[in-house]
Amino acid sequence: MKLNRFFPVFLISALIAPLSAQSIRLAAAADLQPVLPPVLAQFQLATGIRVESTYQASAMLTTQIMNGAPFDVFFSADLGYPKRLIDAGLAEGPAPITYAKGTLVLWIRKDSGLPPPSLDLLRNPGLKRLAIANPERAPYGRAAVAALNKLNLYEVLKPRLATAENIAQAAQFVDSGNADAGLISLTSALTPRMASSGSYFVIPRDLYPPIEQGAVILSKSQQREQAHKLLEFLLSAPVQDELAKSGLTPVH
Amino acid sequence: MDWQAFALTLRLATTTTAILLVVAVPLAAVLVLGRSRWLPLVEALAALPLVLPPTVLGFFLLVLLGPRTPIGRGITALLGHPLAFSFTGLVVGSVIYSLPFAVQPLVAGFAAVGPELVDAARLLGASSTRVVFSLLVPLARRSLITAAVLSFLHTVGEFGVVLMLGGDIPGATRTLSIVLYNQVENFDYAAANHTAAILLALSVTALAAIYMNGQMRGGRRA
Repeated sequence: MKLNRFFPVFLISALIAPLSAQSIRLAAAADLQPVLPPVLAQFQLATGIRVESTYQASAMLTTQIMNGAPFDVFFSADLGYPKRLIDAGLAEGPAPITYAKGTLVLWIRKDSGLPPPSLDLLRNPGLKRLAIANPERAPYGRAAVAALNKLNLYEVLKPRLATAENIAQAAQFVDSGNADAGLISLTSALTPRMASSGSYFVIPRDLYPPIEQGAVILSKSQQREQAHKLLEFLLSAPVQDELAKSGLTPVH
Repeated sequence: MDWQAFALTLRLATTTTAILLVVAVPLAAVLVLGRSRWLPLVEALAALPLVLPPTVLGFFLLVLLGPRTPIGRGITALLGHPLAFSFTGLVVGSVIYSLPFAVQPLVAGFAAVGPELVDAARLLGASSTRVVFSLLVPLARRSLITAAVLSFLHTVGEFGVVLMLGGDIPGATRTLSIVLYNQVENFDYAAANHTAAILLALSVTALAAIYMNGQMRGGRRA
């Protein structure tokens, strides 16, 4: 009976609570999905500011922001998309703030029947399907194609590529066993799930241009002060160290 | 304009529609004529793809038909490759995804045929198969056409399942809706408009053709 009497009170307070707390909206690149949630929880503990985050391909988020999506901050997986928003007058300039660098890895399932991942694996005829992210827009996809080109393997592997919409989906293609191997982000490879079911090889950095990830504060934001706090928090030394453990290279 | 994707989309929609009619006519007939108390459950299952978001359906299929399940391993052994990232995989996904669009009009059409006609046919000794193909199907011909066109168009416009299951492979899984999505995402709005116009023209023509067919028959009855 008690429950019945108090349930409406709980319900109403649960509905009102998010409105009363300070909160900002974050648009974040798909490769940050395994990394960011604990960072954002710490940020809320430290500042009392709640962050509502949306994880998507950077290109998709850019399109949404250009069409009026009400985000306060945008963490892209490259510098090109945030720059595009600055040029369009939709984000604060003069340039995107680099907050981390991405690392490209070759990942396979342990039960794939293929030899351990290495550059030689890319030349293995047993590799029937290689998952990559869309090279026309996903920064990790561009890096993957650049690396394959540098190795003179792109033309050979082209018919065997399965192109994912974003880097998280590329990981899903290979994690579900549908692709034999994948060129994915180190952030995905280090998640507990993928770390236990597979192994990875770090693609040498000289094979692709650096995946510099940039952030911008959006001009339409009503909460710029809070948004700047989030950015400062992300760039602070302890958080940068944490990013390093999750597969992003710190900027300092 | 990506004519390869255009041809692939038409091929996918045609194959899917043909399979769906073969599956949906007997299924709808059982749902209308059958007496089993499990039929409502069957009907509910046949309507389920309407509830599931296409991307979720695509994800389930990716995992279920992938090499990590017994079903998926069987398929891989049979085809020599996993079902994902192949035209066959898209056909399987599309048949499931468009099933309600074939079944629902047929159930409505078959149910609209007077029970006295069915009873009369049965009294004269017609088998269930004969009742379906000599009575229900001819009388519900418009429902059959509606089912075919809806399945076809629904497959042409299919996006979520293809996105999850396809892997964007030209000539195998890159359909018009994926091309359109890529063009929008790459900020190539002129090309996107062009692709969208073709998709729209195709749909309007097909729909107008059925409705014209209905008008010539002087009515809107099943």
